[in-house]
Amino acid sequence: MAAVTSRGQRFGRPVAILAILAVTLIFLSPILWIGATAFKPRAVATSVPPTVFFDPEVTPFVKLLTKRVQLKQPVAPEVYEAAPWWEKLVYDGGERVLKVGDEPQLSQYPNRFLNSLIVSIVSTVLAVSMGTITAYGFSRFKIKGEQDLLFFILSTRMLPPVVVAIPMFLMYRQFDLTDSHIGLIILYTAFNLSFSVWLMKGFIDEIPKEYEEAALVDGYTRMQAFFKIVLPEAATGIAATAVFCFITAWNEYAFALIMTNRRAQTAPPFIPSQIGSGLPEWTVIAAGTVLFLLPVAIFTFLLRNHLLRGVTFGAIRK
Amino acid sequence: MRTVHKGILAGIGLMLASSTSVLAQELTIFWAEWDPANYLQELVNDYTAETGVTVTVQTTPWSDFQTKTFAELNAQGDAYDMVVGDSQWLGAASEGGHYVDLTKFITDNGVDKSFVPATLQYYSLYGDKYWSVPLEGDANGWAYRKDWFEDPTEMANFKAKYGYDLGVPKNYKELTDIAEFFTRPDENKYGVALYTQTSYDAMAMGVEQTIFTWGGDLGDYANKKVTGILNSPENIEALEAYRKLYTFTPPNWNQAFFVENNQAFTEGLVAMAMNYFAFFPALANEATNPHAKSTGYFANPPGPTGAQHAALGGQGISIISYSKNQEEAYKFLQWFIRDDVQQKWADLGGYTCSAAVLNSEGFLKATPYNQAFADSMKIVKDFWAVPVFADMLFQMNDRLHPYITTGEGTAKDALDALVGDWNKTLGNDS
Amino acid sequence: MRWSATGTRRSATTPDGVPTTDRGASPVLICRHQGVRLAVLATLDSGSRAAARGWSDLAIRNAFILPTIAFLIVFNIFPLIYSLGFSFTEYRVSLQKPAEFIGLQNYADLLSDPAIWRSFTTTAQYVIVSVGGQMIVGFGLALLLNRPFKFKGLVTTLLMLPMMLSPAVVGLFWKLLYDPSWGPINYALGIGKFEWLSNRVNALFAVAITDIWMWSPFVMLLSLAGLSAIPKSLYEAAAIDRASWWYTFRRITLPLVSPLLLIALIFRTMEAFKAFDLPFIMSTASVETIAIKLYQMAFQGWDTGRASALAYIVLIVVLCITNIYVKYLNRAKER
Repeated sequence: MAAVTSRGQRFGRPVAILAILAVTLIFLSPILWIGATAFKPRAVATSVPPTVFFDPEVTPFVKLLTKRVQLKQPVAPEVYEAAPWWEKLVYDGGERVLKVGDEPQLSQYPNRFLNSLIVSIVSTVLAVSMGTITAYGFSRFKIKGEQDLLFFILSTRMLPPVVVAIPMFLMYRQFDLTDSHIGLIILYTAFNLSFSVWLMKGFIDEIPKEYEEAALVDGYTRMQAFFKIVLPEAATGIAATAVFCFITAWNEYAFALIMTNRRAQTAPPFIPSQIGSGLPEWTVIAAGTVLFLLPVAIFTFLLRNHLLRGVTFGAIRK
Repeated sequence: MRTVHKGILAGIGLMLASSTSVLAQELTIFWAEWDPANYLQELVNDYTAETGVTVTVQTTPWSDFQTKTFAELNAQGDAYDMVVGDSQWLGAASEGGHYVDLTKFITDNGVDKSFVPATLQYYSLYGDKYWSVPLEGDANGWAYRKDWFEDPTEMANFKAKYGYDLGVPKNYKELTDIAEFFTRPDENKYGVALYTQTSYDAMAMGVEQTIFTWGGDLGDYANKKVTGILNSPENIEALEAYRKLYTFTPPNWNQAFFVENNQAFTEGLVAMAMNYFAFFPALANEATNPHAKSTGYFANPPGPTGAQHAALGGQGISIISYSKNQEEAYKFLQWFIRDDVQQKWADLGGYTCSAAVLNSEGFLKATPYNQAFADSMKIVKDFWAVPVFADMLFQMNDRLHPYITTGEGTAKDALDALVGDWNKTLGNDS
Repeated sequence: MRWSATGTRRSATTPDGVPTTDRGASPVLICRHQGVRLAVLATLDSGSRAAARGWSDLAIRNAFILPTIAFLIVFNIFPLIYSLGFSFTEYRVSLQKPAEFIGLQNYADLLSDPAIWRSFTTTAQYVIVSVGGQMIVGFGLALLLNRPFKFKGLVTTLLMLPMMLSPAVVGLFWKLLYDPSWGPINYALGIGKFEWLSNRVNALFAVAITDIWMWSPFVMLLSLAGLSAIPKSLYEAAAIDRASWWYTFRRITLPLVSPLLLIALIFRTMEAFKAFDLPFIMSTASVETIAIKLYQMAFQGWDTGRASALAYIVLIVVLCITNIYVKYLNRAKER
């Protein structure tokens, strides 16, 4: 059947492409602006009209990673000359790097970044694996009160984090779990489980039961059928679920704000705090944001094909 | 798949192991994110050099400082050994059993003699006991654009309009006049930058300062009485004055604290900016403030009755009762109160409370604002320090913020409503 | 346990998906313990070693489902019961005094407090504006993108970037963007000193716009999925019949995409109702959602008893709303 296109449609195509480009550009402009700010010299960061052309510098990143203080007197020339390139940048900005002995003191950013990595990866792995096997259970077996159980699982996601945080805070206090990686991992897993179960159930429902039956006929146990047949088929769905769970855990703010402090604080509550101790340090925050965006962006980009296919299947078949 | 899993788990285990604290002696101090905390970090690095004990100053933004501290205290956690807490926390922290009683430490070590008595009274004393060692003195002050004030055209126009010379305001009426004079939206210039943020106590500090200046009070702290005091005629006038000043702030100025006020100043947006002295280093630094050379400072001017007060800032350092390193913490405090350490603290930029250093010529000349600071410390007054201060703070924010920033309602209504709230919170019957 | 091969099978599974025994054509393996039939596996070659090793279906079902349910019960139900208890007491976790029972006093106080009602209204308004906006913008984007063009994959992924940013950071930067003195938005739109975040009405829209910006990609993704699943043949048939664009849209596109749109709607409404991060960072005073009020009460005022009561009120409201939605969704699925 030949595609029937009217003249109107053929004319509309370049217009549509133009529209897409324009919309994408406008939509993404805040992000471009953040990215640019991460490399701007401090003086032009918040200028109006916004500076489009500037000499990029890496100072914001240096400031992001070190502990600094305001300079009270101008720095002595010999000291300045002897300093490494990154320290010179800090001096230029009217500050100096704090040192313990001769070692520069790192800011808390690397530690917070690491905490984010640990907590997000572990909780995603847990949420996706538990979600997958539970979804399989719901999909393949008859469960009493299935609809109610599924609604119960969904309902756990409806609560504002604060609602859960109040009693969790008290509970954690009993078990010494406040401000710990494990505590946060548990919360994030619980939080992501509901989404994971629902999404994976959608995918697994898609996989025809005949595949497993054939495997069972061929002499596989159910477990083997699960691992060798179902999981590979569901790989796309697992990828999609993993991406969404990871993004959620990576960017989570409320629980991290409430439940963590010195030891286990992740990056999202930390980055806004870099607003500065005297003057707003927008370039530093932008630098922190850019670095923080990288893992998620890379992870999503790597799995983009799975993601698009995955959302298609999982979402339709509900 | 299995080996990958094992690899990940091993890696995570390793990272977790290395990120938890090692058994070597360590002290952690918790403070808010501002320059003094950076100075303190630098100072305590000396302690590390002397004793080998690592001291880390952990910080969090002011807007979260109270929340995070009490989250840890209420969880009876031991993440922090010491905290440099606000004066208003003394009630809640001491009655909650969170702070270690330092009365003996203070008297044994003569801190009550070597430190300015007023600082001990404000930052350490609660219920006849001492709960902290004063660490950072602070008060609310003003920065102003000397170049704008000394410009001949401006001076001539001002004199013509108001009938007296343009200069550092001698009282609040002059302050308001100057603010009005410099508010020119088409030139992108405004009169003042005020404290209006409600995530913690910024707005309250700005308002209380004005109330005190009108000769009013926030209540009878000793007897917990509020009615008739909080909504007195002077207070109503003072609140109306603060509202009037707000109309001379830049647009969208309804959630401003120290960062915004400093930025307004460095971007040349305002003629005068209110801020705690601890935030002024950024203004005196030429690299961060293009107008640094033409920035002047003054203490909060007197009000119509001649009363002159500044809102108290500053904190004392306390030992947390759940800390596992209390012995080491005591040793640290011993070191901290040494005269040479206090001198270095002042040199680095901390606002020492040691009498010797505070009154020295060297200190007063060290920065452009230290003189104004010293003047302000003589006239400071504080907010409530009772255990329920946080509730009272938020009620104050709730009731007064809409009136100040939008003019809705009247000052009298706002204060009357607040009296009702505070009576309830304090457990009074009326 | 004894395995025995008996009978034959007609089909391996019942419509429920449970493998069943059937006195049908091929051999079936039954596991008996003390004469009781415990579990059934579909046909296995007798002598197959897999049969001897395998888990019974019942065991698998339990092992797969129970941990999750148990986990969720411990970390969702227990805390809720815990705080239900607290909601009936006067308790401040910051003081060392034990909780004292005051019955429904907390609830009464809360329900008669105008500030609480204001928070609820604000939250409702926020939900309507932001979710409505997201649906329109997201669906619009999907309509625009639903055609073959080069780099479609790249563009779609790029448009997902807003979703991938932390709300804390988004809030912070958009706050700067909106600033009348040094934010680019006022400059770009040429509206001078317009104050976005200062009064209740403006701030609500400003924060909602940011929320819309951040989450339209989510709606877009789901809509794209739905749109691309509509068979081209339907459109071609309509074109042959010379149907107008609007007609095609109303009769073909919308109905077929609606299940997905509904799912997007449910998820986004749930999330919008919980809104905390964006309003908190952008403008606490002006847009006081119920989640922010809760946070202040529980973690700044440390009024644990009353905060627990408020949490329960919120829980009940959310459950009701979602119940309605899900019923609607189930009905839509059956159509």
